[in-house]
Amino acid sequence: MTAPAAPDAKLLEVRDLRTYFVGEDGTSRAVDGVGFALPRGRTLCLVGESGCGKSVTALTIMGLVPQPPGKIASGEIVFDGRDLLKLDREAMNDLRGNRVAMIFQEPMTSLNPAFTIGDQIAEVILRHRKIGPREARERAIEMLRRVRIPAPEQRIDEYPHKLSGGMRQRAMIAMALALDPQLLIADEPTTALDVTIQAQILELLRELRAEFGMSLLLITHDLGVVAEVADEVAVMYAGRIVERADAATLFRRPGHPYTIGLLASIPKLTVEQDELPVVEGAVPNPLALPAGCRFHPRCPFADEECRRTDPALAAIAPGHEVACLKAPLERHVL
Amino acid sequence: MVSLSNHEATSAHPILEVAGLVKHFPVRKGVLQRAVGQVRAVDGVDLTLAPGETLALVGESGCGKSTLGRLVLRLIEPTAGSIRFEGQDIRALGDRELRDLRGRMQIIFQDPYASLNPTMTVGDMIAEPLMLHGVGNAAERRRRVAELLGLVGLMPHHARRFPHEFSGGQRQRIGIARALAVEPRLIVADEPVSALDVSIQAQVINLLRDLQRRFGLSYILISHGLAVVKHVADRVAVMYLGKIVEIGDKRSLFAAPRHPYTQALLSAIPIPDPAVKRRRAILQGDVPSPLNPPPGCRFHTRCAFARERCRKEEPLLETAAAGHRVACHFWREVPAMEPIRAGIDADPQLVRLQGFFRSRRRDERDAALASAGART
Repeated sequence: MTAPAAPDAKLLEVRDLRTYFVGEDGTSRAVDGVGFALPRGRTLCLVGESGCGKSVTALTIMGLVPQPPGKIASGEIVFDGRDLLKLDREAMNDLRGNRVAMIFQEPMTSLNPAFTIGDQIAEVILRHRKIGPREARERAIEMLRRVRIPAPEQRIDEYPHKLSGGMRQRAMIAMALALDPQLLIADEPTTALDVTIQAQILELLRELRAEFGMSLLLITHDLGVVAEVADEVAVMYAGRIVERADAATLFRRPGHPYTIGLLASIPKLTVEQDELPVVEGAVPNPLALPAGCRFHPRCPFADEECRRTDPALAAIAPGHEVACLKAPLERHVL
Repeated sequence: MVSLSNHEATSAHPILEVAGLVKHFPVRKGVLQRAVGQVRAVDGVDLTLAPGETLALVGESGCGKSTLGRLVLRLIEPTAGSIRFEGQDIRALGDRELRDLRGRMQIIFQDPYASLNPTMTVGDMIAEPLMLHGVGNAAERRRRVAELLGLVGLMPHHARRFPHEFSGGQRQRIGIARALAVEPRLIVADEPVSALDVSIQAQVINLLRDLQRRFGLSYILISHGLAVVKHVADRVAVMYLGKIVEIGDKRSLFAAPRHPYTQALLSAIPIPDPAVKRRRAILQGDVPSPLNPPPGCRFHTRCAFARERCRKEEPLLETAAAGHRVACHFWREVPAMEPIRAGIDADPQLVRLQGFFRSRRRDERDAALASAGART
C-alpha cells in the first residue's frame, strides 16, 4: 500500500452522480449523489448490499443504463480528463471495450454461446484495432495465455459451454483486457464461483492489475473479497456512499455505524463468538427512503437529529470520510 | 442459556444414522433416452447425528452435499444404503408412514423466493403442513400460526400478507416458521443464508441457533460458507465428489485440518481483515466431473501431495484424533496448516462500538433470564 496519489493521478473521478429510474410506482433514486476518485493503477472497491446502487453506478460509468426508464439526473464522470456523460454515442462506443472494459458475475452474459472464445476475443480486437484476422487470433491466444488458460492454442477454438465456470471467467477477463484498457470494472466477478476458484480469479486479477498497470473498480457485497484486493474502499447504502477510506483504515477503524455493524455481523474464522452482532431491520425500499439519514431506522446511535438531517460525507481523518452526524462516534457515544 | 455440548450430544442415541448411502443419477442421451453413464452424486457416505446437534456438510458445487441432504429426508430415493431416523429404517416405510414421518423432518431452502407459493397468504402457507398432518381445528391453527410468526421474529398480522410483500430475510423467516409448524426433530437447512444480504445473514443465523436451543432441534446444515459453518456447527463433514474426505468435531477440524482438500478450502476463504497474513495454498484446476471421477483418491488430480498410491487405491476414513476422521493415505505426512489468526488485536474502541449491535432478541432473552433468576 502506497501513499495517497496526487490529484493529477486520478484516472476516474465521479462527482455527484444521480441515476434515477422512473416507473409507475414513482421514481427510484438508485444512485443519489455518489462521488469518488480512482487513482491510476489502484483498486477501488464499491461495497454494499443488494439495491445500494453499486451496480447501477458501474453501468452508468459504462454508459449502459437504458434511458428510459433510467435517467441521469446530475453528475460528472471524468475519465482521463473527459466527462463521459458529455460524449456522443460514437465516442462512447469507441471508449468502451477499448479503454474501459467491464466483466460481470455471470460470464455467459458477455460470452456468446454460438461463437468460439477465440472468435469473440478476435472480434473485439478487430473492431478497435487496424490489424488483420491472423494477427488478431495471435493476440487472442496471447490473451488466453496471460489469463493462465492452459493450452491456449487448443482452447481458443472451443465454445464457451465447453469451459468450466472458472475457465469461462478467465476467457471473459481475456476478452475484457484484449485492448489493454486503462480501467477494468468488475461487477461481482467471483460471486458465482466456488471458493477455490474464487481464490484463483482474485489472484489473477491482482496479478493482471499489476502487469497491465490498469485501474480496477471492483463491485462486491463480500467484505472478504474487499480485504483481499482493495487499496481504497467506498461503502454504499441506499444510493449513497456512506464511508470512504483506504482498506486498512476501513477494516481497522470503520467510522460509519453501517460499516461497523456490517463488519461486526459477519461470522469470522478468526474469532470465537457465541451470538453474532446484528444490524436490525432491512435495507429501505428505494421508492420510500427514510427522511434524514437513510440508515437511521437501523442505527443504534440514531437520535432525533438523525431522523431530520441528511448527513453529507465529511472527513474525520485525512483520506477518511464518513456521512454520519455522530462521527467521530467514539467522541459522541463512548 | 444451556446448550448441549458436543460430548453430551454424541453420547445420546443418534437421531439419524446413515450407512453406505449411494445415489447415482443416470445420464440419458438420444431419442431412446438410453443411460450412457452415471453421475455418482453421493458415493458411499456414513454419518450419524445426535439430538440437538448441528452437522455441517461443506464442499464445492457438485460435491453431493445437497443430494445427501435430500436423501436423508427421502425426498429422493437412494440407489443403495440405509437411513435410520429415530431408530426407524425410513427406506422401508410406505407412503403413508413416510408422510407421518415428514412432520418430524423438515427442510429449509436457499432461495426463500422460490420456495414460497406466491398465491397463498403467509398464514395459509404456514398452516398448510398443520392441515396435512391433521393438527387442530381452524381456530387452533390460526393461533399456532401467530405463535410461529412470533417465534421467527415476525408479527401476527403478517399472516394475512403475501410473500412478495416481504424482504428476502423475512421470507426466509417465513420458510423457517413453516418448517417449524409441525414440531420437527430434524431440519435440513440447505444454504439457508447464502441468498441473503450480508446484514440479514447474521439475523437468520442467530434465529436458527435460538430455535435449536429452545426446541432441541438437530440440524444438517449444508453450506459452502465455512465461516458460517464454524459459527453454527458442532461437527463438520467435508465432501469432495460424492465422498466425505474429512469429518470431525468443529474445533478439531478448524484447528487442525488434515486433508489437503480441507486445508485448501480453508486457505481459499477471503477473510474480511486485510491485516491477516497467511501462506495460501491456492488449489489449481477445477473439480473433475462426477460422471467420471478420478480413480484412487478422487482428489489426487488437484493434490500437491499426491503419489502413485493415491492414483490407484481409494483411501478410507481413518481416525486422526478423537472424533476426527480423514480419508487420505498420507495424512500423517501432510504438513499442519498454519492456524488463521486475526492480524492485529481488535481496536478496543471498535469493540465497544460493535457492542451496540447486539440483537434485540438477545436483550429480551437476557432480560427474561434475569427476571426468572430474580424470582427464584
